[in-house]
Amino acid sequence: MSPENPHRQPLPALESRNAIRTGPFGRPAAFNKPAGVIHIKERYFTMLKKDLILRNPLRLMDQENDDLLSPGQFGAILARAGVGKTAFLVQLSLNALLRGKNVLHISLDDPVNKVSLWYKEVFNLIADQYNVDQINPLWESLLPHRFIMTFRVEGFSVPKLQERLADLMEQNIFLPQMIIVDGLPFDESMHPSLSEFKNLVDRLQMHAWFTIRTHRHEEPDPVGLPRQLARVSDLFEIAVQLVPQQKEIHVKALKGEKLLAQSIDLRLDPSTMLIKNS
Amino acid sequence: MKKETEKVRNIGISAHIDSGKTTLTERILYFTKRIHAIHDVKGKDGVGATMDSMELEKERGITIASAATYCEWRGYEINIIDTPGHVDFTIEVERSLRVLDGAVLVLCAVGGVQSQSITVDQQMKRYKVPCVAFVNKCDRSGANPARVMDQLKNKLGHNAVAMQIPIGLEADFSGIVDLVAMKAVYFEGENGQNVRVEEIPPALADEALAKREILLDAASMFSDSLTEALLEEQEITDAMIIEAVRNGVLARKLTPVFMGSAYKNKGVQPLLDGVTDLLPCPADIENHALNMEKEETPVLLFNDRQKPLVALAFKLEDGPYGQLTYIRVYQGTLARADAIINVRTGKKVKVGRLVRMHADQMEDIDTIPAGYIGALFGIDCASGDTFVSPGISLTMTSMYVPEPVISLAVVPKNNKAEINMSKALARFTKEDPTFRVHTNHETGDTIISGMGELHLEVYIERMHREYNAQVTPGMPRVAYRETITRKAAFDYIHKKQTGGAGQYGRVGGYMEPINDTDFIFENKVVGGSIPTQFISACEKGFKQCLAKGPKMEFPVTGIKIVIDDGASHAVDSSEMAFQAAARGAFLQAYPKAGPVIHEPIMKVVVETPSEFQGSVMGSLNQRRAMIVGAQDEGVICVIESQVPLAEMFGYSTILRSLTQGQAQFTMEFATYRQVPRSIAEELVKKAAEEKKNVA
Repeated sequence: MSPENPHRQPLPALESRNAIRTGPFGRPAAFNKPAGVIHIKERYFTMLKKDLILRNPLRLMDQENDDLLSPGQFGAILARAGVGKTAFLVQLSLNALLRGKNVLHISLDDPVNKVSLWYKEVFNLIADQYNVDQINPLWESLLPHRFIMTFRVEGFSVPKLQERLADLMEQNIFLPQMIIVDGLPFDESMHPSLSEFKNLVDRLQMHAWFTIRTHRHEEPDPVGLPRQLARVSDLFEIAVQLVPQQKEIHVKALKGEKLLAQSIDLRLDPSTMLIKNS
Repeated sequence: MKKETEKVRNIGISAHIDSGKTTLTERILYFTKRIHAIHDVKGKDGVGATMDSMELEKERGITIASAATYCEWRGYEINIIDTPGHVDFTIEVERSLRVLDGAVLVLCAVGGVQSQSITVDQQMKRYKVPCVAFVNKCDRSGANPARVMDQLKNKLGHNAVAMQIPIGLEADFSGIVDLVAMKAVYFEGENGQNVRVEEIPPALADEALAKREILLDAASMFSDSLTEALLEEQEITDAMIIEAVRNGVLARKLTPVFMGSAYKNKGVQPLLDGVTDLLPCPADIENHALNMEKEETPVLLFNDRQKPLVALAFKLEDGPYGQLTYIRVYQGTLARADAIINVRTGKKVKVGRLVRMHADQMEDIDTIPAGYIGALFGIDCASGDTFVSPGISLTMTSMYVPEPVISLAVVPKNNKAEINMSKALARFTKEDPTFRVHTNHETGDTIISGMGELHLEVYIERMHREYNAQVTPGMPRVAYRETITRKAAFDYIHKKQTGGAGQYGRVGGYMEPINDTDFIFENKVVGGSIPTQFISACEKGFKQCLAKGPKMEFPVTGIKIVIDDGASHAVDSSEMAFQAAARGAFLQAYPKAGPVIHEPIMKVVVETPSEFQGSVMGSLNQRRAMIVGAQDEGVICVIESQVPLAEMFGYSTILRSLTQGQAQFTMEFATYRQVPRSIAEELVKKAAEEKKNVA
């Protein structure tokens, strides 16, 4: 973090976007402590987080502070195997985590350890890239906002997820605000259960991101959407595709261009899978 | 005693608790004719398995100390180390793995890869121990070796390949199909001692062919001759397959999987064949020692009898004839009447009796050559000590020893108990480096510390049983630590001029938090404002303050102290004065440096049937846990979390009652993390109360 940053970011405006966590004076709730006490450590973290969000090229996709998706909406990331869907998703998730959102990560491919390794790796890479020091305390402050759930593909169903969510929410263990689902197979029979999922997400006031694996040999449908998405495209508000072109991976909007910020021109760095500006 | 190194196998048997490793060892000893009757672990006949030599182990049905034992199979000499399966005793497992050349990873055909198997597997990776897997309990209902193979691949990342397929499963389990020889093998007779080899039953022929294809495919990666033979469709001999698989095992890139049921005496003999065929001999493994004279640079050891001796004492046992020291010779030969040197103490000792162990019976031998495991009598040493020939100074790499995380006070009931207790404690600390003892200077209590509740419990019980020491354990205590969170400056003058020689010293500088290490002292004084001879006194003064932090009297860690200014007096300055000044400076800056309390956080993994997932998570949540994730594995669910150790006391009972005894958990130290403010306040209150009571 560069030394001049604290001056560039005036304090009161800090987390005003986040109504839940903001106190009466537009300051984060943690600041509403006895007058005259400056909680340097907390302020430092808030600045650090803010800094990371600001530098994250994802903000180009997000509308600055608010979530791209409103409650009940679905987003999809499409790509062929190995292009970087999970990396992209983890970055979306980290971006939300940095903003204090609770993220439920559901993986149908990888065990918990591997998913958490993804996060750690991507976080370290981001922190490295922006020369953030003191990453450990920041990392630890993010962890309680993340919950990883893994299922076997065949064992996953919406009622089951609902049951698990109820376990978490009723006991106040974890209240997700965003769900990401990695590895769900989008075959012909997905529509009913996805729309059931959409209802659930809507009821619980969350939004969800999915990865969709496309295949090289399959022709897109007449509109140009990959087959996997075309079958369920009515349920998705946003869809972006990761397309490898020469030495870079381009992020291309397939659906919901209006929701996405005007000039979406993002690339993934193939060596780190990190999102960067064009 | 034969002396062919190629025909020696030093193996361990590691597994999750209750996977049946002690039963398996027992059967191996039976089939190798080291014992002549079979006793079960929780034996109805009251004898108990031969490997569990300690009374307590027999009673609880668990293996605590790893006994080394010796047997022969088809002309091969096998030393078996029976390793304990519970996580609380992992130092024993790690120490055993250190001296092993190969291991058998026992997995339960019903439970599959359980949390403990993961820990053991990680340890095997750390010491690069090649292994074969044995899927045990194929006769139990719910047995599914195929699922276990999948878990080996997915959960542990092994390149697992089946060497056998079962004939029938659960109650119908009757034998195995050997995929190398392509024969069906049945085990007959009262104890399965008669092996009957037959043609493969027609119903299994297709499956066997398909599985053999997979085996050949995997093995061909490690042998050119096999690949060639496969491509040119030549005849493939058993020896070619075995050699290829062995290459894969030695490279730790292939894990052959055997199947059977030790309890029902099925599949043990083929496993023994596999151990002798596939696991490495001592000469196949590179071992390194550290050269003490050259700043501990690693030195390659040669499995050569003529070279100077290097041997490692890896386990101690108190027998009726005094201390028995289990030793592994890595280089040279250990012979009776030799003079050898204990590298740690530098003392020369003379080798008395040498024996080869078979659980708690023994056989006298004259020499222990390189690659062999044996035991010596009458040598005073601690476990982990290295013995060498006079003239060389090598030490085996120091083993990774974790710091203890929990402690409790033990009070002997009477005078006799006190004497016995001190004997017991002296022995335990020698046997187990993770078990420590110290005396609290203020209360005079004897405090024992270790790796977990059960770890300490077992030692307290051993005190009762083996040493007849009646002790009352106190409440367990967590090893909290203090540290600072920000930089703070000090400038302190220590001045005393009241009669006698005066004292004067001024120390200026700052303290700041650091991450990776406990304490750094840096001297940036220029121009001699503190004379050089007093700098070390300053360091000493600061160090004295670390043992007991000013905030809560916990040890202070993660602190860097820099002195950059000071003053001295030509007459009144002394070492003592600067020590006092440093202590004063520490106390001056410490409260300004934002001191906090850190507590040990344990990685707790609970395996529970899915229907109890919610309540288990609830129980963890009540314990200030941070749940990392929940992994759904069909019928069972694995919950991974990080929980403060202070909240984990008695958790096993609670978990059992929550899940009708069906869930289990493992716990290992993860990290130190700051105690939340409210809890810290409670701790302060408690400490104050205790102080009042003591006063």
